[in-house]
Amino acid sequence: MEHVDHILIVDDDREIRELVGNYLKKNGLRTTVVADGRQMRSFLETTPVDLIVLDIMMPGDDGLVLCRELRAGKHKATPVLMLTARNDETDRIIGLEMGADDYLVKPFAARELLARINAVLRRTRMLPPNLVVTESGRLLAFGRWRLDTSARHLLDEDGTMVALSGAEYRLLRVFLDHPQRVLNRDQLLNLTQGRDADLFDRSIDLLVSRLRQRLLDDAREPAYIKTVRSEGYVFSLPVEVLGASS
Amino acid sequence: MKLQWPRTLASRLSLIFLIGLILAQALSFGAQYYERYESAKDTMLGNLETDVSTSIAILNRLPAPERAGWLQQLERRNYGYLLNEGSPGTAMGDTPIAVTSIQDAIGKDYPLTVTDLPGPQKHFQVHLKLADGSPVTIDVRPAMVPLSPWLPIVLLGQLALMLACTWLAVRIAIRPLTRLALASETLDPNTHAVLLDETGPTEVAHAARAFNAMQARIAAYLKERMQLLAAISHDLQTPITRMKLRAEFMDDSTEKDKLWNDLGEMEHLVREGVAYARSIHGATEEARRTDLDSFLDSLVFDYQDMGKDVQLNGKTSAVIDTRPHALRRVLVNLTDNALKFAGAAELQVQTLAGGGLSIKVLDRGPGIAEDELAQVMEPFYRVESSRNRSTGGTGLGLAIAQQLALAIGGALTLSNREGGGLCADLRLPG
Repeated sequence: MEHVDHILIVDDDREIRELVGNYLKKNGLRTTVVADGRQMRSFLETTPVDLIVLDIMMPGDDGLVLCRELRAGKHKATPVLMLTARNDETDRIIGLEMGADDYLVKPFAARELLARINAVLRRTRMLPPNLVVTESGRLLAFGRWRLDTSARHLLDEDGTMVALSGAEYRLLRVFLDHPQRVLNRDQLLNLTQGRDADLFDRSIDLLVSRLRQRLLDDAREPAYIKTVRSEGYVFSLPVEVLGASS
Repeated sequence: MKLQWPRTLASRLSLIFLIGLILAQALSFGAQYYERYESAKDTMLGNLETDVSTSIAILNRLPAPERAGWLQQLERRNYGYLLNEGSPGTAMGDTPIAVTSIQDAIGKDYPLTVTDLPGPQKHFQVHLKLADGSPVTIDVRPAMVPLSPWLPIVLLGQLALMLACTWLAVRIAIRPLTRLALASETLDPNTHAVLLDETGPTEVAHAARAFNAMQARIAAYLKERMQLLAAISHDLQTPITRMKLRAEFMDDSTEKDKLWNDLGEMEHLVREGVAYARSIHGATEEARRTDLDSFLDSLVFDYQDMGKDVQLNGKTSAVIDTRPHALRRVLVNLTDNALKFAGAAELQVQTLAGGGLSIKVLDRGPGIAEDELAQVMEPFYRVESSRNRSTGGTGLGLAIAQQLALAIGGALTLSNREGGGLCADLRLPG
């Protein structure tokens, strides 16, 4: 029998969770809806799920608390997609920092949610990350750079911020999540197409060259991202998770 | 000629104090001087009466040859005796008080004639004949006891003291006012309140307390406004989410599309409303050292990756201290605006000659009428051409950009380009 992905939706607004549940069901997913963290916990006791859609603003334990709890327990491998009503760059990031795999700002379109769910499932199935970025360890260090995974920018030795475009960040994250491992173009494309899958159509080669420029990497003798002829690319330096710092 | 009333409060107060003090001082000095003169004169005339009658009585009693020997002892500071007819002079015009005193003292015993000797100093002589017929002249040179030489020094000292006191008093009075003005000028309810020192004289402390309380009130109002906007927008987000989800279950139709667009507009308004409230209230983001070239690169690439026509020209190699989210929001709002009206945007960055940076967002759209250029930065203002719903935004995009540009220490100006289109120039400190 074909596997049908089981999505658990946690939202305190009855209408929203039922509308979302029905939409996903209509599009071929299996869904369960619960109203709060207590119900979520008791459901997960008996039934494993493929992905959890978690509302941030909920009475009782909010989404951030629940996500942290999930990451600390036996469900740490289950992807989490956050729904947030807040419209602020820093707030959005917190969800990711707490270990969510993606987030969506309310009000959202159901088809966008579906696209995100599929992207997250594809990503986590294909290549689970080697490193786990956590609340306290959100800086990834490599070579002369540090990547701030909550603010999504690079820091050089002096602490000067070097900004990354969305696509550049996602590609770098893929490399840093799988250091010293050859990744082919298909894998890179799939893993990089995170948020704006339908809009993003840059070739991986162009993105890699942009990223090399950003890292001040010499394209002829790259120190960070090396080309593996006819295979793809490899991130050649070790990556370390640092404790939180500004 | 009309005297110019000085401009500053300090000089006005100083002038009033100084003139008042000097007048009062002059008046009291004058009164004292007059009083001294009067009492000195009374004493002197009293002495003169007894002295003159005694002296004349002595001379009268003395044998004629011995008289000359006594003259030395009878000599006084202002008058003396001569044993002759005296010098010829003119008749006295008015009678000095000294003459009256002499008249009172010896007039009833001896017939007196008074002559005036003209000269720079007052000088007169009283002539009489003793009982033996020999002439005696009282030679009088009336003069006040001269002022002590230290008096002008004391007066100068007093003047200096008055000047010093005036300066001090004016300074004490003006300083809290200056401080208050400065504090009001730099008052920024968005940042942490800078409280005035509430010590000092009662009035100053009172003003400082009132100012601090006002600061707290403004901050509270702003916070309340922000919370109100945030609360409204948050509470609207749930129903809008429900409506959007419900709309997706509808069959495809023009009605569905219209509903979808309306919801999109509501959503946009709600988000911009919160963003505007935050842009005024929030200076919460910390400034950090930012590589400007990569910052602009990444911004433009994000647009290009979404298939938008946005180009970047210029390089600065500048590293600036700024709040990256705020700066990004300013540029995103300006670029979105350009894309909305012109379909394409060009970013130009350059280092200015006098230090500082200029980031321009240029388009070839319809531009904005000159008389509306300033108004478009007001919240909820929309230019005539954007009033129709198809292009109409919330009217907050430029207001947010303007607020945030100020918050990061920059300035935003709009102008129309030669050849058509709009130029938004963001100036940042270097």
